[in-house]
Order: sequence, then C-alpha cells, then structure tokens
Amino acid sequence: MKRPSRKPSAVFAATLAAVAMSQDVLADATYDALKSQVESLQKQLREVKDQLDAQEKDTTDKEVAELRNRVEQVSAQSEEWKNADSVVHLAGYGDFSYTDGDNQNGALSAVRFNPIFHYQYRDLIMLEAELELEVDETGGTTNNLEYLTVDLFVNDNLALLGGRFLSPIGQFRQNFHPSWINKLPTAPPGFGHDQAAPVSETGLQARGGFPLGGESRFINYALYAGNGPILEIVGNEIEAIEAEGRTSNDDDEAVFGGRIGILPLPRLELGLSGATGKVAGEDEPDATRSYRVFGADLAYQWRSLRLRGEYIEQKVGSEASSAAPDSAKWQAWYTQASYRFAPTGWEGVVRYGDYDSPHDSSDQKQWAVGVNYLFAANAMAKLAYNFNDGANGSAADDDGFQVQFAYGF
Amino acid sequence: MNRITAPKISNLIPAVYLGLTVAAGFAAAPAGAAEASGDILARGAKSWSENCSRCHEMRDPMEFRDDLWRPIVTHMRVRAGLTGTQQREILAFLQSANNRAAEPRKVSTDRAVQGASAKSAQTGADIYQQTCVACHGQNGTGSVPGAPDFTATDGPLAKDDGVLLRHITEGFKTPGSPMAMPPKGGNPALGAADIQRVLTYLREQFGGASR
Ligand code: HEC
Ligand code: HEC
Repeated sequence: MKRPSRKPSAVFAATLAAVAMSQDVLADATYDALKSQVESLQKQLREVKDQLDAQEKDTTDKEVAELRNRVEQVSAQSEEWKNADSVVHLAGYGDFSYTDGDNQNGALSAVRFNPIFHYQYRDLIMLEAELELEVDETGGTTNNLEYLTVDLFVNDNLALLGGRFLSPIGQFRQNFHPSWINKLPTAPPGFGHDQAAPVSETGLQARGGFPLGGESRFINYALYAGNGPILEIVGNEIEAIEAEGRTSNDDDEAVFGGRIGILPLPRLELGLSGATGKVAGEDEPDATRSYRVFGADLAYQWRSLRLRGEYIEQKVGSEASSAAPDSAKWQAWYTQASYRFAPTGWEGVVRYGDYDSPHDSSDQKQWAVGVNYLFAANAMAKLAYNFNDGANGSAADDDGFQVQFAYGF
Repeated sequence: MNRITAPKISNLIPAVYLGLTVAAGFAAAPAGAAEASGDILARGAKSWSENCSRCHEMRDPMEFRDDLWRPIVTHMRVRAGLTGTQQREILAFLQSANNRAAEPRKVSTDRAVQGASAKSAQTGADIYQQTCVACHGQNGTGSVPGAPDFTATDGPLAKDDGVLLRHITEGFKTPGSPMAMPPKGGNPALGAADIQRVLTYLREQFGGASR
C-alpha cells in the first residue's frame, strides 16, 4: 500500500499550499482595502482641513475687516468732534458771598451767575457773550450783558472785535475780575462800577500779539474806538463817571484808546494804557469836555507767588457851559500779593488800595487780608477782612469781612 | 482849479497796515488740524507753562476734552493777546496732554511706536529738553504748579524704577495735587525705550542712583 501512504502527505502539502495561497490572497485583499480606506480618510481629512482653513481664514479676514471698519468709523467720528467747523461752548462762573461789618447786618449779600457763551467758526470767527445775573436786595434778579463781541481772526497777529467788550484799559477789569480768578471777594477800591477804572466799552477793537524776538518775549496790544463814557451831573457837581459800554453817544465824539503789554520775561507782564476823547453830561450833550485816561499795570508770577499792581486815572476837563463847570479826576491804585502753600490748597493774600475821587465821601484807603482754600484751579472758598479808612462816618470808613465761594467752569 | 485834499500820511498808515494784514491773513487761511509733531508739542508745552497761569490758576490739561479746548484756547488767545502760532501750539499740546492713562495699548501700535523712536534714538537729555522741561524746569525742581522737585531726597526719584516708568508712561496724579502728570508728558511718540532713557537721565541729573 504505497499510494495511500503518499496521498495524505500530498494532500497535506496541497492544503498547505492552498492555505498559504489563500492567506496571501487574503492579505493582499485586506491590504488593498485598508490602503484605500486610509487614502480616502486622508483625502477626507485633507478636505476637512482645507475647509477648516478656508473657514478660519474667512473669519479672521472678516474680523480684521470688521475691526478696521470700526476703527475707521470711530476715528472718523472722533475727528468729527475735533474738527467740526462750528463749535458751541458754555463757560462762565458763579459765586455767593456773605458779608458782615461795622454798621451793617450780616447777610448773604450776593448771589451771581455769569454764563459765557462761545460760538466758534473754524479759526476765523468767534462770538463771545457773557451775561451777569444777580439777585438784588428785594429778591428780584438783575441782568446785564457784560459783553458781546464778534471776533474776526484776520491773521496770526490781529483779531478784530466789534460789540460791547470789557474795557481794554488796565488789567483788573479785563483779566482779574471774575470771582474764581480774583483772590479777594471784593474789587480793589476804585475798580468797581462807576469808579476810577472804565468797566466796558461799545465799539470796535483790534487785539493781538507779536513775538519780540528772543525766547519767550512777547508784546500784546488792544486798540479801540468806542462811544465813551457819560457824566452823571447832580446840581452843580459831577456825581459820577459811567464808563459802562453805552450804545448811545450823546456827545457825538468817539473815544480812542488802548493798552500795550510787554512780556520781557515769561510770567512778567508790564502794561501801559491810555484813552482820549470827549465826554458830556447826561442832559447836556452839547457841553462836551475833554476825557483822558491813563493806566499802568504789572503782573508777575514766581512759582506760587503772584504779585499784581495797577494804577488808573480818568480825568475830565472843565467846561464853562456845563451846570458842573469844574474839571474832575478819579484815580486809584492797588498792589496785591498772594501766595499758595503748594501742594496744599491754602493760599494767603494781602492787598493795599487807595481810591481818590471828586467826592471825599467815597474816597477810601484799604488793607484787605484774606485766606483762601482752592478745591481746584477753578473752585475757591475765600475769607477776607477789609480794614477801611474813609471819611469819618461814611460807609467807606466801615471795616468788614466777607466770605465767598466761587466756581468757574 | 480842483484842489485835491491829500489825506494825511499818518492817517493812512493804520489803514494800509490793516489792509495788508487782512489780505495776508485770508491768504494764509488756518491750516487743518494736522498731526502734531514732537516739536509743536514741545513749544506748546512751553508756551502753555509760561502763559496759562499768568492771570488765573493753571487749568489742568486733563480738565477738558479736545473739542472743548478749541474754543477755550481761542477765547484765551483774544483775552491774553497771544499770537495765532501760540494758540495752535498750546492747543496741540493740551489736546495731546489730556489723554487719560489709556487701557492697555494694542501691541502692534506700541511696536510701531517703539520702532519709530528707536530709529530716531534721542538721548534722555534730548527727550527731557523737548518734552519734560516745560513743566519740570531746567533744574528739575518744577516750573508749573504741582510739578514735584526731583532733586529732593524724599522726592519722586526715591521711588522704584518700575513705579516711575509706569507713572511716566500712563500719567499720574497724587490725590489733591493741582495738576496731573500727562501720560508720556503729553508726547505720544515716546516709546518704552525713550522713557527708560529719560528716567536714567533724571536719575543721573537730579540724583538718586537707579534702584
Ligand atoms: C490775560 C489773562 C489770561 C491769560 C494769560 C489766560 N487766561 Fe484763561 N481766563 C482769563 C479770564 C479773564 C477768564 C474768564 C473769562 C471771562 O470771564 O470772560 C479765563 C477763563 C479761562 C477758562 C474757563 C473757560 C473759558 O473759556 O472761560 C479756561 C479753561 C482758561 N481760561 C484756560 C486758559 C489757558 C489754557 C490759558 C493759556 C493759553 C489761559 N487761560 C490764559 C484770563 C486769562
Ligand atoms: C504738563 C506738564 C508736565 C510735563 C510736560 C511732564 N510732567 Fe512729569 N509731572 C507733572 C506733574 C504736575 C507731576 C506731579 C503729579 C502729581 O503728583 O499729581 C509730574 C510728576 C512726574 C514724576 C513723578 C511721578 C511720581 O510717581 O511721583 C516723574 C518721574 C515725571 N513727572 C517725569 C516726567 C518726564 C520724564 C516727562 C517728559 C517725558 C514729564 N514728566 C513731563 C507735569 C508734567
């Protein structure tokens, strides 16, 4: 039995071969399948990735574009604020005071509100106007147009103003009288209304400044032509001179004047003022007489020390045809020093002033001392005492103290 | 015989002057608000420190927005007899010095600014003279209300570099002080490197070694 004995081995071998072959075939098939699966996965992955990339790029591009857009909008808007042709601005100040003194009842004696309006068109024109609203003794309110001018900026050295303006004579009335600026609650003697210093004027004015050559040296000027003041005549005496920017000109003669200020050093200003023209009494427009003003002023600041001084005189000539034929002169001067104890808000101030008028009863020499507290550059509480020396028994002789709170905005 | 009355020469002078200046003025119409350069800001800071506390207490640059400073400075030009140049320079300074310490800046702008200033590579002394001297003075003792005395031993230079760098960069105000230190002294072109250099200069010049 040879054959059968070989048969099993052949069968075995054949089986083996078959198995091997089938395994081979099998392996090839799986491999191919897997490979194609992987490939398709890879492809899908790539597609997904591409898609994602595209999406991401899309969104960042969009975000960036949106952001840029927004930035542009915002900056355009802020430019719009900054560079609009016309600007409207509200400034001003308010104050209230309490006064008490010899022969006087203590009272909350003044409540004032002075709004200032500014309208500016480019760098070409500005309208400025200030009102003064003040509570009076009876509880009513008086109002006053302190100034209104239209200013035309002609060039870097010249602005032309027309309207009613603060008198450019001297420095107290135009530069220091607002209550948040004035270091004392009161004006120096002679620098109030209808006293030695002209308060305002109605007319035309040219103002500006020039560099004087060298570092920080400047000159400024103000020249005006206006209606001028009027005299109040009572009996055969001139009672007062009213230099308050009238819109009438009874004597039909303009007053010309101005001021030149020199700044030889930073923070030091020396000024000279003058005016000349004709003036008449209220009820006698034809009895005109000469009118002359002279003033000199100084302001210096060294750190927190401020020194100020000013002299002013108004003179009217004699006029035979007037009920009050005599000439008259009003003169006043003051010096003031204030020192702020930086960095605190405390400040001390001393002022000496002397006012001389044709009426002895209103003449006054005054020492004023004060202590201030500055809450901010524009908000100040003041406490002051005035030692007054005037004609015996007159109000100008009464000492008194004042408390004031002033706020500028 | 026609008699022509010759106007007096002296009467003509003001008229001629006015005519000429009017013509010149309108020809040179105001330039738009161009970006303020460092020079303009420096001159503005100087003019501001020399003029704006003459009549009243110095108003803090941060008190008003840019658009409000415009009519205010115009008003003050008329009141104080400033020139148009002073008006524009002071306005540019105030508008740049009133920036509040900004929220953290975007990196990119900072880098651009640093790049720009690295190129110019000003020395600390240059920067001090250009941007800081108006308020802090030649001798470092301060020339406007509120500016501290750098030379005082217990003055601001006693503080750490980190604190000072931050205060110079972001601006700084001691409670109750009359005025704030504007961010970067009001000159936005200064980068971190410039501020480091100017601080080093402060220490060398006004005392107190870096700590
Ligand atoms: C010649 C004196 C003088 C100088 C110099 C001066 N000011 Fe004034 N300032 C005044 C007066 C007076 C007022 C009050 C205005 C009024 O009552 O009409 C004022 C008001 C202000 C106000 C309140 C807002 C307003 O418009 O009334 C600000 C703010 C101000 N000044 C800032 C400045 C700045 C900034 C400077 C420097 C460019 C400056 N001042 C220079 C006299 C001056
Ligand atoms: C507009 C005026 C002004 C300018 C310009 C200015 N500073 Fe100041 N600086 C001040 C004031 C005011 C203070 C005090 C602030 C306070 O204490 O409230 C001050 C304070 C400082 C302090 C002290 C900070 C602290 O932590 O106490 C440093 C340092 C200083 N300034 C550096 C500089 C440098 C550097 C420059 C120029 C890049 C500069 N300042 C420009 C006004 C100015």
